[in-house]
Amino acid sequence: MARIAEVWNERAQGLITELNLQIERSEPDGVQLRMPHNPEFCVDEDGTLLHGGILTALLDSAFGLANFLAVENLDTMATLDLRIEYLSPAQSRADVIVFAECYRQTRHVVFNSGRVWFDTPGQPEIARGSATFSIMRGANSLLDKLNTKGPGQ
Amino acid sequence: MTRDELQAQCEKIPFFRFLGFSIVEAGDTFILACMEQSDRHIGNPVIQAYHGGITASLMEAVASVSVSHNWAILRPKPINLTVDYLRPALVGTLYARAEILKKGRRMASIETVAWQKDTERPVAKGLFHFLLV
Repeated sequence: MARIAEVWNERAQGLITELNLQIERSEPDGVQLRMPHNPEFCVDEDGTLLHGGILTALLDSAFGLANFLAVENLDTMATLDLRIEYLSPAQSRADVIVFAECYRQTRHVVFNSGRVWFDTPGQPEIARGSATFSIMRGANSLLDKLNTKGPGQ
Repeated sequence: MTRDELQAQCEKIPFFRFLGFSIVEAGDTFILACMEQSDRHIGNPVIQAYHGGITASLMEAVASVSVSHNWAILRPKPINLTVDYLRPALVGTLYARAEILKKGRRMASIETVAWQKDTERPVAKGLFHFLLV
Protein backbone atom coordinates (compact mmCIF):
# COMPACT_ATOMS: atom_id res chain seq x y z
CA MET A 1 0.00 0.00 0.00
CA ALA A 2 2.76 2.43 0.96
CA ARG A 3 4.49 1.73 -2.37
CA ILE A 4 1.29 2.32 -4.35
CA ALA A 5 0.76 5.62 -2.56
CA GLU A 6 4.35 6.66 -3.25
CA VAL A 7 3.92 5.83 -6.94
CA TRP A 8 0.77 8.01 -6.96
CA ASN A 9 2.71 10.87 -5.41
CA GLU A 10 5.95 10.48 -7.40
CA ARG A 11 4.27 10.09 -10.76
CA ALA A 12 2.02 13.04 -10.08
CA GLN A 13 2.07 16.10 -12.27
CA GLY A 14 0.34 19.45 -12.22
CA LEU A 15 -1.32 20.60 -9.02
CA ILE A 16 -0.29 17.54 -6.99
CA THR A 17 3.36 18.47 -7.61
CA GLU A 18 2.67 22.04 -6.46
CA LEU A 19 1.12 20.78 -3.21
CA ASN A 20 4.43 19.00 -2.42
CA LEU A 21 2.70 16.30 -0.37
CA GLN A 22 4.33 13.85 1.98
CA ILE A 23 2.49 10.62 2.66
CA GLU A 24 2.28 9.82 6.36
CA ARG A 25 -0.25 7.01 6.26
CA SER A 26 -1.55 4.95 3.36
CA GLU A 27 -4.00 2.18 4.20
CA PRO A 28 -7.23 1.00 2.56
CA ASP A 29 -9.14 2.49 5.50
CA GLY A 30 -7.57 5.94 5.23
CA VAL A 31 -4.69 8.14 4.16
CA GLN A 32 -2.90 10.97 5.93
CA LEU A 33 -0.91 13.55 3.99
CA ARG A 34 1.24 16.50 4.99
CA MET A 35 1.33 19.69 2.93
CA PRO A 36 4.21 22.03 3.77
CA HIS A 37 3.32 25.67 4.29
CA ASN A 38 3.40 27.61 1.02
CA PRO A 39 2.86 31.41 0.95
CA GLU A 40 1.66 31.14 -2.67
CA PHE A 41 -1.53 29.49 -1.37
CA CYS A 42 -2.33 32.41 0.93
CA VAL A 43 -4.56 35.45 0.59
CA ASP A 44 -2.27 37.87 2.47
CA GLU A 45 1.14 39.15 1.42
CA ASP A 46 2.59 37.91 4.73
CA GLY A 47 1.68 34.40 3.66
CA THR A 48 -0.09 33.27 6.83
CA LEU A 49 -3.76 32.88 5.86
CA LEU A 50 -4.48 30.01 3.46
CA HIS A 51 -7.17 30.45 0.82
CA GLY A 52 -10.08 28.05 1.28
CA GLY A 53 -9.66 26.81 -2.26
CA ILE A 54 -6.35 25.16 -1.49
CA LEU A 55 -7.95 23.21 1.38
CA THR A 56 -10.67 22.10 -1.03
CA ALA A 57 -8.01 21.02 -3.54
CA LEU A 58 -6.11 19.21 -0.79
CA LEU A 59 -9.21 17.29 0.34
CA ASP A 60 -10.18 16.42 -3.25
CA SER A 61 -6.66 15.06 -3.87
CA ALA A 62 -6.62 13.08 -0.62
CA PHE A 63 -10.03 11.58 -1.45
CA GLY A 64 -8.63 10.46 -4.79
CA LEU A 65 -5.69 8.70 -3.13
CA ALA A 66 -7.96 7.15 -0.47
CA ASN A 67 -10.15 5.70 -3.24
CA PHE A 68 -7.12 4.54 -5.14
CA LEU A 69 -6.07 2.44 -2.14
CA ALA A 70 -9.52 1.32 -1.03
CA VAL A 71 -11.19 0.26 -4.28
CA GLU A 72 -10.19 -2.97 -6.00
CA ASN A 73 -9.85 -2.97 -9.79
CA LEU A 74 -10.34 0.78 -9.94
CA ASP A 75 -10.29 1.81 -13.59
CA THR A 76 -11.47 5.43 -13.60
CA MET A 77 -12.89 7.85 -11.05
CA ALA A 78 -14.37 11.33 -11.22
CA THR A 79 -15.53 13.65 -8.45
CA LEU A 80 -19.31 13.88 -8.57
CA ASP A 81 -19.73 16.41 -5.80
CA LEU A 82 -17.87 17.94 -2.94
CA ARG A 83 -18.91 19.71 0.25
CA ILE A 84 -16.40 21.60 2.37
CA GLU A 85 -16.89 23.30 5.73
CA TYR A 86 -14.35 25.89 6.84
CA LEU A 87 -14.39 25.41 10.60
CA SER A 88 -11.88 28.04 11.68
CA PRO A 89 -9.53 30.56 10.04
CA ALA A 90 -6.67 28.78 8.25
CA GLN A 91 -4.08 31.13 9.72
CA SER A 92 -0.67 29.62 10.51
CA ARG A 93 2.76 28.96 9.08
CA ALA A 94 2.59 25.34 10.24
CA ASP A 95 2.31 22.37 7.87
CA VAL A 96 -1.21 21.27 6.99
CA ILE A 97 -2.31 17.69 7.67
CA VAL A 98 -5.21 16.02 5.89
CA PHE A 99 -6.83 12.70 6.73
CA ALA A 100 -9.18 11.18 4.17
CA GLU A 101 -11.13 7.95 4.06
CA CYS A 102 -13.39 6.05 1.73
CA TYR A 103 -16.07 4.92 4.20
CA ARG A 104 -18.43 3.23 1.77
CA GLN A 105 -18.04 1.81 -1.70
CA THR A 106 -20.61 0.42 -4.09
CA ARG A 107 -20.33 -0.79 -7.67
CA HIS A 108 -20.58 2.69 -9.21
CA VAL A 109 -20.19 5.18 -6.37
CA VAL A 110 -17.81 5.71 -3.44
CA PHE A 111 -18.27 7.99 -0.43
CA ASN A 112 -15.48 9.98 1.23
CA SER A 113 -14.94 12.11 4.27
CA GLY A 114 -11.93 14.00 5.50
CA ARG A 115 -10.52 16.42 8.03
CA VAL A 116 -7.84 19.11 7.82
CA TRP A 117 -5.77 20.62 10.62
CA PHE A 118 -2.48 22.42 11.23
CA ASP A 119 0.41 20.46 12.70
CA THR A 120 0.17 22.49 15.90
CA PRO A 121 -1.03 20.90 19.13
CA GLY A 122 -4.20 22.40 20.55
CA GLN A 123 -5.23 24.27 17.41
CA PRO A 124 -8.79 23.53 16.25
CA GLU A 125 -9.60 21.68 13.02
CA ILE A 126 -9.68 24.04 10.06
CA ALA A 127 -11.87 22.12 7.61
CA ARG A 128 -14.02 19.08 7.05
CA GLY A 129 -15.09 17.74 3.74
CA SER A 130 -17.15 15.03 2.15
CA ALA A 131 -17.41 13.88 -1.43
CA THR A 132 -18.91 11.29 -3.70
CA PHE A 133 -17.01 9.91 -6.65
CA SER A 134 -18.30 8.09 -9.67
CA ILE A 135 -16.08 5.07 -10.35
CA MET A 136 -15.59 2.41 -12.98
CA ARG A 137 -14.04 -0.92 -12.16
CA GLY A 138 -12.31 -2.92 -14.83
CA ALA A 139 -9.32 -4.80 -16.08
CA ASN A 140 -7.27 -1.65 -16.81
CA SER A 141 -6.19 -0.78 -13.31
CA LEU A 142 -5.33 2.81 -12.45
CA LEU A 143 -2.02 1.60 -11.05
CA ASP A 144 -1.00 0.23 -14.46
CA LYS A 145 -1.92 3.55 -16.07
CA LEU A 146 0.03 5.32 -13.36
CA ASN A 147 3.10 3.24 -14.10
CA THR A 148 2.91 3.94 -17.81
CA LYS A 149 1.27 7.31 -18.34
CA GLY A 150 0.99 9.11 -15.03
CA PRO A 151 -2.05 9.29 -12.79
CA GLY A 152 -5.32 9.21 -14.70
CA GLN A 153 -8.54 9.74 -12.85
CA MET B 1 -15.10 49.59 -8.23
CA THR B 2 -14.27 49.42 -11.92
CA ARG B 3 -13.11 46.23 -13.60
CA ASP B 4 -9.50 47.49 -13.67
CA GLU B 5 -9.56 48.41 -9.98
CA LEU B 6 -10.93 44.98 -9.12
CA GLN B 7 -8.26 43.32 -11.24
CA ALA B 8 -5.57 45.34 -9.43
CA GLN B 9 -7.03 44.23 -6.07
CA CYS B 10 -6.99 40.60 -7.17
CA GLU B 11 -3.35 40.82 -8.20
CA LYS B 12 -2.38 41.69 -4.62
CA ILE B 13 -3.57 38.27 -3.44
CA PRO B 14 -0.87 35.57 -3.75
CA PHE B 15 -3.30 32.68 -4.31
CA PHE B 16 -5.19 34.66 -6.96
CA ARG B 17 -1.86 35.16 -8.75
CA PHE B 18 -1.24 31.41 -8.43
CA LEU B 19 -4.58 30.77 -10.18
CA GLY B 20 -3.91 33.54 -12.69
CA PHE B 21 -7.45 34.57 -13.59
CA SER B 22 -8.70 37.86 -15.06
CA ILE B 23 -11.90 39.75 -14.35
CA VAL B 24 -13.85 40.00 -17.61
CA GLU B 25 -16.92 41.84 -16.38
CA ALA B 26 -18.11 43.21 -13.06
CA GLY B 27 -21.77 43.97 -12.47
CA ASP B 28 -23.64 44.99 -9.33
CA THR B 29 -24.66 41.42 -8.56
CA PHE B 30 -22.20 39.33 -10.54
CA ILE B 31 -18.58 38.81 -11.56
CA LEU B 32 -17.35 37.08 -14.71
CA ALA B 33 -13.74 35.87 -14.86
CA CYS B 34 -11.60 33.72 -17.12
CA MET B 35 -8.47 31.67 -16.53
CA GLU B 36 -5.99 30.22 -19.02
CA GLN B 37 -4.79 26.71 -18.26
CA SER B 38 -1.26 26.28 -16.93
CA ASP B 39 0.57 23.07 -15.93
CA ARG B 40 0.01 23.77 -12.24
CA HIS B 41 -3.79 23.60 -12.76
CA ILE B 42 -3.77 20.05 -14.05
CA GLY B 43 -5.24 17.17 -12.06
CA ASN B 44 -5.38 14.49 -14.74
CA PRO B 45 -2.36 14.65 -17.07
CA VAL B 46 -3.68 11.84 -19.29
CA ILE B 47 -6.53 14.00 -20.57
CA GLN B 48 -4.93 17.35 -19.52
CA ALA B 49 -7.92 18.13 -17.31
CA TYR B 50 -8.08 20.80 -14.64
CA HIS B 51 -7.86 19.53 -11.06
CA GLY B 52 -11.31 19.62 -9.45
CA GLY B 53 -9.78 21.63 -6.61
CA ILE B 54 -8.64 24.31 -9.07
CA THR B 55 -12.10 24.62 -10.61
CA ALA B 56 -13.53 24.93 -7.09
CA SER B 57 -10.80 27.44 -6.14
CA LEU B 58 -11.56 29.64 -9.16
CA MET B 59 -15.27 29.59 -8.32
CA GLU B 60 -14.58 30.41 -4.65
CA ALA B 61 -12.23 33.24 -5.65
CA VAL B 62 -14.75 34.76 -8.06
CA ALA B 63 -17.54 34.33 -5.50
CA SER B 64 -15.50 36.18 -2.88
CA VAL B 65 -14.75 39.00 -5.35
CA SER B 66 -18.48 39.39 -6.07
CA VAL B 67 -19.03 40.03 -2.36
CA SER B 68 -16.01 42.28 -1.84
CA HIS B 69 -16.90 44.29 -4.90
CA ASN B 70 -20.32 45.19 -3.58
CA TRP B 71 -19.55 46.07 -0.03
CA ALA B 72 -15.88 46.91 -0.10
CA ILE B 73 -15.26 44.01 2.23
CA LEU B 74 -11.68 43.03 1.67
CA ARG B 75 -11.78 39.52 2.92
CA PRO B 76 -15.15 37.78 3.24
CA LYS B 77 -14.77 34.66 5.36
CA PRO B 78 -15.79 31.44 3.62
CA ILE B 79 -18.19 29.30 5.68
CA ASN B 80 -18.89 26.36 3.42
CA LEU B 81 -19.36 25.30 -0.16
CA THR B 82 -20.86 22.63 -2.32
CA VAL B 83 -19.66 21.89 -5.83
CA ASP B 84 -21.26 19.67 -8.46
CA TYR B 85 -18.86 18.43 -11.12
CA LEU B 86 -20.81 18.05 -14.33
CA ARG B 87 -18.15 17.48 -17.02
CA PRO B 88 -14.35 17.26 -17.12
CA ALA B 89 -12.69 20.67 -17.55
CA LEU B 90 -10.25 20.06 -20.39
CA VAL B 91 -7.46 22.00 -22.14
CA GLY B 92 -8.32 25.64 -22.74
CA THR B 93 -9.82 28.64 -21.04
CA LEU B 94 -12.02 28.17 -17.98
CA TYR B 95 -14.73 30.76 -17.34
CA ALA B 96 -16.48 31.30 -14.02
CA ARG B 97 -19.42 33.51 -13.15
CA ALA B 98 -20.54 34.27 -9.61
CA GLU B 99 -24.01 35.62 -8.91
CA ILE B 100 -25.14 36.97 -5.55
CA LEU B 101 -28.29 35.07 -4.51
CA LYS B 102 -28.77 36.78 -1.18
CA LYS B 103 -26.92 39.52 0.62
CA GLY B 104 -27.61 39.97 4.27
CA ARG B 105 -25.87 42.06 6.87
CA ARG B 106 -23.83 39.12 8.12
CA MET B 107 -24.12 36.40 5.49
CA ALA B 108 -23.97 36.10 1.74
CA SER B 109 -25.01 33.25 -0.49
CA ILE B 110 -23.33 33.10 -3.90
CA GLU B 111 -24.06 30.81 -6.82
CA THR B 112 -21.32 30.02 -9.32
CA VAL B 113 -21.02 28.29 -12.64
CA ALA B 114 -17.90 27.32 -14.60
CA TRP B 115 -17.74 26.45 -18.29
CA GLN B 116 -15.37 26.34 -21.23
CA LYS B 117 -16.54 26.75 -24.83
CA ASP B 118 -20.28 26.61 -24.31
CA THR B 119 -22.22 28.30 -21.49
CA GLU B 120 -24.94 25.69 -22.01
CA ARG B 121 -22.49 22.94 -21.09
CA PRO B 122 -21.16 23.88 -17.64
CA VAL B 123 -18.26 21.89 -16.18
CA ALA B 124 -19.21 22.68 -12.58
CA LYS B 125 -21.69 24.55 -10.44
CA GLY B 126 -21.14 25.78 -6.93
CA LEU B 127 -22.88 27.32 -3.94
CA PHE B 128 -20.77 29.34 -1.50
CA HIS B 129 -21.61 30.95 1.85
CA PHE B 130 -19.53 33.77 3.28
CA LEU B 131 -19.50 35.55 6.61
CA LEU B 132 -19.21 39.29 6.10
CA VAL B 133 -18.49 40.45 9.64
